[in-house]
Amino acid sequence: MDRSAQAGPAANVLAWSVLLFLLLPITVVFPLSVTDQRFLSLPYEAPSLQHYVTFFTSERWLTSTWQSLVIAVFSTVLAVATGTLCAIGCWKLSTRLTDLVRVLMLLPIIVPSIVYALGIYRLWIRLDLLDTYLGIILVHGVTGIPYVMITVSATLANFDPRLEQAARSMGANLSQTLRWVIMPRVMPGIASGAIFAFIHSWDEAVLILFIASRALFTLPRRMWDGINENLDPVMAVAACVMMLLSMLLLAGDLWLRRKRDE
Amino acid sequence: MAALQHSLTVRRLAKHYGQTRAVDDVTLTIGRGEFVTLLGPSGSGKTTILMAIAGFVQPTAGDILLDETPITPLPPERRNFGMVFQGYALFPHMTVAENVHFPLRVRNVARAEAERRVAEALDLVQLGPLKDRRPSQLSGGQQQRVALARALVFQPALLLLDEPLSALDKKLRAELQVELKALHRRVGLTFIYVTHDQEEALSMSDSIAILRDGRLVQEGPPGQLYERPATRFVADFLGKSNFLEGRIIERRADGFAYAVDGARFLQDGPAPPGETVLIALRPEKIAIAADGEAAANTVEGTIAAWSYFGTSFALVVATGAGTFQVTVPAWRCPVEPAEGRRVRLAWPADASVPVVPD
Repeated sequence: MDRSAQAGPAANVLAWSVLLFLLLPITVVFPLSVTDQRFLSLPYEAPSLQHYVTFFTSERWLTSTWQSLVIAVFSTVLAVATGTLCAIGCWKLSTRLTDLVRVLMLLPIIVPSIVYALGIYRLWIRLDLLDTYLGIILVHGVTGIPYVMITVSATLANFDPRLEQAARSMGANLSQTLRWVIMPRVMPGIASGAIFAFIHSWDEAVLILFIASRALFTLPRRMWDGINENLDPVMAVAACVMMLLSMLLLAGDLWLRRKRDE
Repeated sequence: MAALQHSLTVRRLAKHYGQTRAVDDVTLTIGRGEFVTLLGPSGSGKTTILMAIAGFVQPTAGDILLDETPITPLPPERRNFGMVFQGYALFPHMTVAENVHFPLRVRNVARAEAERRVAEALDLVQLGPLKDRRPSQLSGGQQQRVALARALVFQPALLLLDEPLSALDKKLRAELQVELKALHRRVGLTFIYVTHDQEEALSMSDSIAILRDGRLVQEGPPGQLYERPATRFVADFLGKSNFLEGRIIERRADGFAYAVDGARFLQDGPAPPGETVLIALRPEKIAIAADGEAAANTVEGTIAAWSYFGTSFALVVATGAGTFQVTVPAWRCPVEPAEGRRVRLAWPADASVPVVPD
């Protein structure tokens, strides 16, 4: 019986190859970013930080970073507020209709984003929202809702409904129960959802291509343009910066989860 | 204290879930300052009644009145009833003191006043020194006491308790039963207690309401229910009982005689109408008689099985009138229990009671 729990050599090899397959393409970006050449390549003579200097002094790249951050922050706020309320509402009502709502709210990650982008594009033309902060924040916020829904619903599934009953039996109204009992218990789920919603907006590249023209140049869009026009190594630097922030956020999420499990 | 006491009336209460009648036409009056237990097996509707009193279950029909005021339309947060939940439902993200402070925080009680009352409530359950712990750092018995303090700190009109001892081990449960009863006497509130444990019900209550399949079967003080069960279910659920199915063969002014498989027994009290009768007889009311000792009812049999419980022996005795469960004190037991040994069982005519078969 003990043997069944141990992986054979074939399974081990397979597992490690999958892991490498996932990790290697990411790790190659770092050596590319420290190249001493003026095109996208591995360093010839010695590693150099010249492209990092370019990135952090170029107005174009800094503007893009700033835009990406602003859009990510506001769309996260939108996704967290609506996603959390929706998850709590569905949990409280818990009828067949709310099950349907839950599935509907997951649509943005089920429907291919290119399809979504086309639809939004048509609609935004009419509403005159193309190439505006509001336009892209709305889109990123709405498509970030599923992440919040999933994480908040998961924490609510573990929430003991008797805690809410206890609060009410002691005289707490809905708003007091929500603020003092339910919210503190689902906070880790909200934080997790916020992190994922942020990363979603931070590295989103398809919707922005449809909606933006001159005013908006988020980091992913700037990189996309860079790849199309010239193979500038600053792109690799931008990729590293993006990854670093995402990884920090994911580490934060792991830390939150561990803290919650204590 | 008397000013805090309230009576509660449940009038023709019903709760239907589709075709299922969780509670079916229950009427119950709970007097001021009483400790009343709703006792029944799972699915008997006892928790549904408690939840309806608390306001978490909207009844299909009927009324709930506090003193003379109907409270059925009030939401739970406006009823001002303290409640101790099964599993306690303490807030895990708050300390003991914060948990107990919660009902006062909800009511905007001024800080100094709130601190005094929290300390008072914690003293009442002897938890003062643990006020800064989290619920997860407390034992089951301590958590139970926090739940009590939290339910009492806001001077509720009633205290509702939903199987508060079910998660604890037997010995602790017995200790807390004594504590709960003492607490009831000290605070003087009306307590409504739900349990499936008949020992808890017997040891603590002023009055017990026995429920089965959503209906109230019998209600009364523990002694009365134990000594005079109205139905077979009550006799069986509250303690143990032997049941004798007999045929009435003689009616007298002060009792009657009945026959079970040829054996003839006497029973005090009026005979029920009809030809047949069901008699409930507690195992501890049967004695083992010495040879030649006279008694109203005797029957001979052999010990089929026995077990030792320290204070008593439980014997299973096979007789011509069926199998009897007999409990005899172990201290100076008149016979040495052994399988196959012949014994003579005896009981007086007022030891048993006729019950309604159900």
